[in-house]
Amino acid sequence: MTAESGEQGPGTGYLRRVWQWIVEAPDNEVVTIVDRIVTLLSRVAMFLTAVIVVIIFYEVVMRYVFFSPTLWVNELSLWLGSMIFLIAGMYTMQRRGHIRVTAVYDIVPRKVQIAFDFIAMLVVVAYAFLMIVAAWPVALDTLLRWERFGTYWNPPVPATVKPLVLFVTAVVAVQAVNNFIIDSLLGHRRPEPDRPDT
Amino acid sequence: MDIGTLSLLILIGIFVLLVAGVPLGFATGLLGAVVIYFNFGLPGLGLVMQRVYDLAITYAIIAVPLFIVMASLLERSGIARDMYDALNLALGRLRGGLAIVTTVMAVVMAAMSGIIGGEIVLLGLVALPQMLRLGYDRNLAIGTICAGGSLGTMIPPSVVLIVYGLITETSITALFTAAFVPGLMLAGCYIVYIVVRTRLNPALAPLQTDFGEGSASAGAGHVAGEFALNAGPFAIGLAAALGANTYGFNATEQVAWFIFTSAVVGMVLVYSLRNSEAWPIAKGLLPPLIVVDLVLGSIYGGVTGITEAAAMGVVATFILIVIRREAGLRMVLESLEQTFRAVGTILWVTFGATVLAGAYSLSGGNDYVAGAILGMDVAPIGIILLMMLVFLILGMFMDWIGIVLLTMPVFIPIVKQLGYDPIWFGILFSLNMQVAFLTPPFGSAAFYLKSVTPPEIDLVVIYRSFGPFICLQLFVLALVLFFPEIALFPVG
Repeated sequence: MTAESGEQGPGTGYLRRVWQWIVEAPDNEVVTIVDRIVTLLSRVAMFLTAVIVVIIFYEVVMRYVFFSPTLWVNELSLWLGSMIFLIAGMYTMQRRGHIRVTAVYDIVPRKVQIAFDFIAMLVVVAYAFLMIVAAWPVALDTLLRWERFGTYWNPPVPATVKPLVLFVTAVVAVQAVNNFIIDSLLGHRRPEPDRPDT
Repeated sequence: MDIGTLSLLILIGIFVLLVAGVPLGFATGLLGAVVIYFNFGLPGLGLVMQRVYDLAITYAIIAVPLFIVMASLLERSGIARDMYDALNLALGRLRGGLAIVTTVMAVVMAAMSGIIGGEIVLLGLVALPQMLRLGYDRNLAIGTICAGGSLGTMIPPSVVLIVYGLITETSITALFTAAFVPGLMLAGCYIVYIVVRTRLNPALAPLQTDFGEGSASAGAGHVAGEFALNAGPFAIGLAAALGANTYGFNATEQVAWFIFTSAVVGMVLVYSLRNSEAWPIAKGLLPPLIVVDLVLGSIYGGVTGITEAAAMGVVATFILIVIRREAGLRMVLESLEQTFRAVGTILWVTFGATVLAGAYSLSGGNDYVAGAILGMDVAPIGIILLMMLVFLILGMFMDWIGIVLLTMPVFIPIVKQLGYDPIWFGILFSLNMQVAFLTPPFGSAAFYLKSVTPPEIDLVVIYRSFGPFICLQLFVLALVLFFPEIALFPVG
């Protein structure tokens, strides 16, 4: 049995509840504007998984029941999939969920932990910086030329996904800085997730 | 910079960053970017984005979120609970019955989804309280749940094998085919162990005496009915689909044939069992087996690819949940959210590692390591054993995803050069990861279970119960290692 949340009264429409869920603030102790934006974008992107399920189901039905396979399902699911994979990275960063080894981290004093956090933040920022510095002209170029996939349906996958890689990586870096300030400097440490996700 | 020094620096770099608790995906990504910068300068750095982009638009990875959605939905429905009750009716009266039920349930759930987290948590919520209430030995109960739950990534469909297939460019379907027998062997070993242990020392597993009024007498009839339902439609449908494959049916005819045969056999079974004592058992087992049949049947029957099979599994699961009147908006939203988190975690480690792997191989690192290892005066099987050792040691400290991404780009060319089958190696890897889930200090199975156990069962207690199960896993690993046919005979 799924427990419906008690916040809304009965009769609240589905769409309204979905909307409330999308704009809901993350459950961190301190919520910044960065947290809000990342959470909002991610909660919208989460529905893409459902969209993929629906279109692949449609494709399978069309192929095996109506003998007329579609041309676009494969490419659209690939396109939506790439958006999920990328945007999910910012959400995971917001949730402090990226996989790390905490064997040593957990046993050193708090001051050393803060130093470690600082190193971690620097690594994320440096990675984002190196990637973006080198690739932004390429990404901008594919966007301006509206580069397409080169298939029959021909969606603008490179034109959208390449800039998205850079955008998401930049947001992840900003979120990492945000996390360092909130968690390490101001001391509002979010408890570790109660269980790993994979 | 010569490649030997570079390799050493990368190893030191990874080690230092990991010790400092830097997220794995970014530690490897940055090291990769730095390696590229030193070897190829600023223009080469464009490769960083290119690698991430190429991986993000890979069709096969879409199966990962789909299988996770499926698992999250199952976790939130009562399907697993009902299956447990049904199996309990069938097998619960045997000595050690609850532990056997737990293992069988773990196998069926493993055949539905490809991850272990939800499975262990579910078993921890459903099966553990029952076993403890009945006075089962705590170690036996905990070990059964964690070892059984870990089968999620061994028995197909498995996210570990999907990622392995992507990284090493081996056929995921072939990997799934090869993983089946070793996975079932593992489960079989657990069951034999439970039976033998509880026969030798009945105090470990007191008999169940408090069956309700409605449950009829246990006996051969029940067990037979349960096995017929379990294996019947699935085996015949699958055999029919495979047969159709051989007899030159096209895909559409095959799928029709597959659904037709499964449906006929299923209906005959339902009809004949409906009024029998086995019906309560059948009712709980049918829904999960339909999902298993659909997902694995369409993959093995060659009807659809893995991604499509995963999507069909999600649809089937959702329909079942709607029929059971359990569907709700909150459940869907939570499942989507959980999936999104899991995908972000898995994929971003993959992104970082693909950058490092690309940088290292472009710098000639793979050839260097392969040369060094092949140049050693060791028998080929010795090199494979060495790799197993590396997996086992890394498995104590790292998640499977980190291990596959860091080691495979280097190991796989060597494995191929030695003349071994990368599919066999994938199964070995997967078996190693079974061990890794259980070995302290970072066996993730223990963490999953800990999140749902009462406080008196702490991590030390959990880890202490794993010993015999780790031995069984190593035993099966050794079997597959020295008799590759166990994994490879169905692949052909």
